[in-house]
Amino acid sequence: MSGADLTMAASPAAAPARTLERLDAGVEEVRRRADAIRRQVLRTVARVGEGYLLQALGAADIFAALYFSELRLDPANPHDPRRDRCLLCTAHNSVVLYATLAERGYFPAQELESYGQDGSPYEIIGSEQVRGVEGTFGSLGQGLSVAIGFALSARLRETRSRTYAILGDGEMQEGQTWEAAMAAAAYRLDNLCLVVDLNGMQVEGAIDSVLPLGEVAAKWRAFGWAVQEIDGHDVGELLRALAIARDTAGRPSAIVATTIPGHPISFLRGRFEHYAKLSPQQAQDALAELDASASSNASFASTTPSPRKEPA
Amino acid sequence: MSPTVWATNTPTALKAYGGALVELARERPEIVCIGADLTGPTETDLFRDTIPERFFNIGMAEANAIGVAAGMARAGEIPFVNTFSVFASRRAFDQIAMQVAYPQANVKIAGFMPGLTTPGGVTHQAIEDLALMRALPNMAVVEPADANQIHAAVHALADHRGPVYMRLKRGEVPVMSSAAGQAFEIGRAYLVREGSDAVIFACGLMVTLAIDAAEELAREGRDVAVVNVSTLKPLERELIIEIAAQTGHVVTAENHSIIGGLGSAVAETLSEAGIRCRYARVGIADTFAEGASAAYLFQKYGLTTQAIVDACRRLGDGAPARAAHRPVTRA
Repeated sequence: MSGADLTMAASPAAAPARTLERLDAGVEEVRRRADAIRRQVLRTVARVGEGYLLQALGAADIFAALYFSELRLDPANPHDPRRDRCLLCTAHNSVVLYATLAERGYFPAQELESYGQDGSPYEIIGSEQVRGVEGTFGSLGQGLSVAIGFALSARLRETRSRTYAILGDGEMQEGQTWEAAMAAAAYRLDNLCLVVDLNGMQVEGAIDSVLPLGEVAAKWRAFGWAVQEIDGHDVGELLRALAIARDTAGRPSAIVATTIPGHPISFLRGRFEHYAKLSPQQAQDALAELDASASSNASFASTTPSPRKEPA
Repeated sequence: MSPTVWATNTPTALKAYGGALVELARERPEIVCIGADLTGPTETDLFRDTIPERFFNIGMAEANAIGVAAGMARAGEIPFVNTFSVFASRRAFDQIAMQVAYPQANVKIAGFMPGLTTPGGVTHQAIEDLALMRALPNMAVVEPADANQIHAAVHALADHRGPVYMRLKRGEVPVMSSAAGQAFEIGRAYLVREGSDAVIFACGLMVTLAIDAAEELAREGRDVAVVNVSTLKPLERELIIEIAAQTGHVVTAENHSIIGGLGSAVAETLSEAGIRCRYARVGIADTFAEGASAAYLFQKYGLTTQAIVDACRRLGDGAPARAAHRPVTRA
């Protein structure tokens, strides 16, 4: 890692004059971006032949909703101190963040051709070496604490900056998550919004077969958070939930978003493999499925049903 | 506090850290104070009462406290995290490594009750915190020796861009006339007594004991230098190498395990520099202690003027450096 890369945590530079507003993309545009993110995930993982693929596909709608509608960001100035912060707490899912950042213009998508190669900044379990990545959270359970720090500082400085954290559900087994849950509620951080990516999967398979989480939404509610439960593939629901969180005063918000690993690829959807193989043929087939659904969506956009909701 | 954890007749002061931190925060609005349910014991009650809007008690949750501090630092604040040395090091080590050291977050960690200064027993005695913190890339590690140094160090920490771990005793601390009015420079060691026969490198509470030991040795004709190594990392290599080479007899003294702390740091430096010298480490001899008064524990575990004197004598007389240190044998 070069010395220049290590300046990321330093004090931010003076605020530039550029405006910093939400993109506020509508449902169709966010869906289109989610598909583009999925294509980039498939192409990127296909080069390595395996990866944290299924959870990346499952989380694409969440990332698209955040980065193409909700967040106030400037890809040309990733350290703008006025920006919203978005922390992917589960850095194992970095490939979907890379794909999103490339799609959002933080760096050219071609750079992802080095993904997972020796010497590449695009590590499988990512770090803040990558432009636009807000921290290094491969050691699970730590991201939400850092998010609280951002939120406290924003309040202290009376800035509009909001902080978002995307948390994998397996990560809730790390006790630090609940230290942070308590603190965010105690400090009434209504400028903090957590999205729980409830995909039901961890390293050894289904969470319920390893260490069940119990009532996830009820847990966050009991810790004092404003909780919404949504279908994590329903972009309309995602955008509404983010808007409600923005308007919630006095409490941090948790959006518990149920997602399906591998969604919407027919032969990947619902599989529980934390590090999945992807052959060139499978990648091609998956991309073809996305192309087919994109053209059918274009024809029948108004009648496209929401993805089926399945239990976690 | 019994005077045996510092030299007899040493003047003392109270709450040097707590006062200095408030003074600093009044000058610099980006200073924030983060605690973990130990406000009184970390002398930060004064901060809480005078600058409450920048005081954050995170509760009994050191891992979270470190993460919160790292987030605030990334947003431009200069957080001072205050807890006991043992919890900062053992309990939140991964968080410090990943959220503070790796990203070079501008977080200052103040660890109180180092080594055997606490009656709290093994759960509260940080005997390996210097070793752990020293091993982290990007982390500076300091241990001030007296109230003057604590006061100056608080300002030096804020001026240093990047992570620092400071360990210090709380409450009553010694006051050394030699450190009065002196700036605290991170990366400097301070020659507090000159000598040509041997040198004692000491840190923290062991410094006044080392000076005391040197005075006792002077009475029997041994001329012993004392260096206050108040920064363990980065170590001031040149001074250490020069004095060790001149005297040829080196004793280190620390309120910490003899493994991984000051004794190790000095030995690494001298070995790599090719300095031939006789060498002894005074410190906690690779053992856990127990709950008792600091005076009792310092006596029992050999953190005393007498232990330093004995080590210097053994070296000077050509005896084995650690008579009491038995090798591990197989059954």
